[in-house]
Amino acid sequence: MIEYIKNQLIKKGMDDVIVYQSNNNFTQIKFVNNEITKTETSFSNNVSIFAAKNKRLILTNLKDTSKKEIDKKINYILNFIKHIKPNEDYFGIAPGPFKYKEIPDTYDKKIINMNEIDYVERGINTALKNSKRCSGVLEKNVGSSRVISSNNVDVKDKATSLYFSIRAFTTKEASGHMTSCSRTLKKFDVDYASKFASDIAKKAQNPIPSKSGNYDVIFDYLPTAVLLNYVMDSASIFSVETKTSFFYDKLNKKIGNFTLIDQGNLPNGLFSSKCDAEGVPTQKNMVIDKGILKTFLYNTSSAKRHKTKTTANAGLISPQFWNIILEGQKGDVFDIKKGLYITNIWYTRFQNYSTGDFSTIPRDGIFEIENGEIKAPIKNIRVTENMLNILKNLSLMSKDSKQVKSWDASVPTITPKILVKNVKITKPTV
Amino acid sequence: MDFDLANFAIKYLEKKGASYSEARLENEESNSFMIKNGNLEASSFGTTNGLGIRFLIKNSLGFVTINDLEKDKVIKAINKSINLTKRAYKISEKITFSRENPIKSKYKVSQKIKISSKSPGEKIKFLTDLDKKINDIPARYFSYSDTITKRYYTNSENTSITSEIPRVSFFYFITLTEKSKTIQRYLQYGSASGLECLKKWQLEKNILNEIKALKLNLNKGIKAPKGNIDVVAAPEVTGIAVHESGGHPYEADRIFGREAAQAGESFISQNMVGKKIGSDTVTVVDDPTVENGYGFFLYDDEGVKARRKFLMKNGVINEFLHNRSTSTKMSLSSNASARAKNFDLEPIIRMSNTFMLPGKMKEEELIEDVKLGVYLKNFMEWNIDDVRMNQKYVGNEAYLIKNGKITQPVRSPIIEITTPALYSSVDAVANNLQFFAGNCGKGEPMQAIPVSMGGPSIRLRNIKLGQK
Repeated sequence: MIEYIKNQLIKKGMDDVIVYQSNNNFTQIKFVNNEITKTETSFSNNVSIFAAKNKRLILTNLKDTSKKEIDKKINYILNFIKHIKPNEDYFGIAPGPFKYKEIPDTYDKKIINMNEIDYVERGINTALKNSKRCSGVLEKNVGSSRVISSNNVDVKDKATSLYFSIRAFTTKEASGHMTSCSRTLKKFDVDYASKFASDIAKKAQNPIPSKSGNYDVIFDYLPTAVLLNYVMDSASIFSVETKTSFFYDKLNKKIGNFTLIDQGNLPNGLFSSKCDAEGVPTQKNMVIDKGILKTFLYNTSSAKRHKTKTTANAGLISPQFWNIILEGQKGDVFDIKKGLYITNIWYTRFQNYSTGDFSTIPRDGIFEIENGEIKAPIKNIRVTENMLNILKNLSLMSKDSKQVKSWDASVPTITPKILVKNVKITKPTV
Repeated sequence: MDFDLANFAIKYLEKKGASYSEARLENEESNSFMIKNGNLEASSFGTTNGLGIRFLIKNSLGFVTINDLEKDKVIKAINKSINLTKRAYKISEKITFSRENPIKSKYKVSQKIKISSKSPGEKIKFLTDLDKKINDIPARYFSYSDTITKRYYTNSENTSITSEIPRVSFFYFITLTEKSKTIQRYLQYGSASGLECLKKWQLEKNILNEIKALKLNLNKGIKAPKGNIDVVAAPEVTGIAVHESGGHPYEADRIFGREAAQAGESFISQNMVGKKIGSDTVTVVDDPTVENGYGFFLYDDEGVKARRKFLMKNGVINEFLHNRSTSTKMSLSSNASARAKNFDLEPIIRMSNTFMLPGKMKEEELIEDVKLGVYLKNFMEWNIDDVRMNQKYVGNEAYLIKNGKITQPVRSPIIEITTPALYSSVDAVANNLQFFAGNCGKGEPMQAIPVSMGGPSIRLRNIKLGQK
């Protein structure tokens, strides 16, 4: 069926055609206050079509795959495209064919028949050892996809994935949060997330107000992942071109002392995929290599526009990221005299994306650190900073890394805990 | 739309032992266009069709969605969902829905200028014409989108509602640069209507005025005064504050902890109804029936008739936003606050059009009575904690008020304040009610749902502003 769509569109004069087909079965178990409050099962079949003629671009989907409806849709595309103005910035899609490698640990049959309820129950019970109540979700996705294009691309992929998010509470204002994600059942660690969340919830009891000022801050896995999602977003060529990036004038300049990677073919990477939306095999992109911003993230057209090569991050319109990886100098991040330990953040908003001025709100356990030890829990603070400063002052990373994803870090991130020096902390004036 | 399929799903679930079931059949048509730095970047159109079904079996809640609308596939999906829900029973919350009257209704938002009456070319021309007016700003993008959402809702309690809601939205983002300094601005417009809203929005005039003001701010902006001063917040700032700390904390699902893991809980607890947390001048309502409001609906996604809710009345916590489950926990009826973005997402408690009621004074009168203060016309950065207590709004276009007059521009004044302090400091509200559109995020999976937020200009007395 999708070949028919592609062939018909080529026959009718389109220069470039990509047809993407996917089939997904999503399951979610939502638990609240130690009980399952909802089970959700979702079945979706989707066909998306990209077509270009004389630099006129169109994106659409197909809801009905009968021949009659396909023909109707093709006629509609032909009519629609006549009305569109050319995009002078468009330079075509990737020329195939390509060779693809299977990515290890991205599909596990055991996930299909796992008992999700047992995992949720186990997660709740583990959390309740150290906390009074917990809430969260377990999500399972089983899917398959196929991409074909007018440039000889034809690739199939299949995927399984698991995601567990748990927030544990000992009191209304003492909580901890952690997530776990994996493409295989074996590497899915519900117990770790539950134990971490409840340990933090236990330690976070009776928080006290803290003072505004500048602190050395240890960001745990979740807040680091949130920050890195914004950093990677700034590496998108779309953000650069619209000046919604604090990297827009920083190519080949020193950003800090770390390495930041986007890798689409990472084994067990939650978003790993054989290819991008144009069918280009995914790769490992050293976005920031030993502190130097080396590349932005491109699709074929935007790469040609900037006289470089695609980084296999298409998105047909704007780049998409796969799995973010942070690497750098390792050590004991807690080895500081005085500082703060932040275990989660949310609601990150920018005053100016091009300068990187932003603030974000720590939530869940926040602690004072004295002589390398976790001391009193604190509350009601805000990180009011500049993203380039944060990156410049990122001085050390923990030895261990975790793959995390969250509501605020939608792209999976493999990250250590980080130590950032001299972070500005503010709090309400009244 | 195949109404019979939705009706069949309800009957089938009854046979399978569901004590309650509901089906939402949806057809949505959409168009969207984006211009980036003068180039038409993307044009898309599409149609989605699907069925979302919720049911209670032994008071355990199951939800199943499918976009392949063949009867045998729907049966298979339902069976799978029933099986999963039954397996969850051993540790599931036992849910009861409030009793609500059965409703039969059909409604449609009228479009004075039909979305379908303009070709894609005409919609693109609207964007390109606008773009030409400001093409001296090198970094900019505009987007336009429209949707027509048709829904058929039915449940096992003899309710059936068909609706058709068109929505039009426009978004822009600009970066102004002067030497090494930059200032940015974005704003969304949205309306549940036909294309007549495009003229009403006066986009060209508004955007050009903003550019002029922001250039002035960039070149001449001074720091906000130190110490305690008065602040006059214009409707856009009132709107975001009301949405974040006058609306979200009143969502009963937060209060009962259902969104605890992500969207968070609330500083308000069940027993705080009647507690005063703002001044007498502050009344905040949520009203889905506001004509052309971006969050417009007449019946919610649990089939309950919508009405205005007084969340804070003269500074007193008055009413929460409820669905059929949370209302039962407080022995109340639902006040129709359950919404789902689309068929494949569960209905959860959401705001609709949330705003502070206007007063009788003119905005100028609010300003006249300020010796030293700041006028916040609009904002960029904002955030709030997950119990809706500690919030921050950073002004973008802002001015110094001296002896009752607006004088020079102020650069990025910061309000960082707790919720009771914010609403208690309001001593006057103007009569210039305005609404602003947004897509509010909540739920897992995330649902960004159309809402509007607004209010009049308000005066906050004796506030300490932060500075950049």
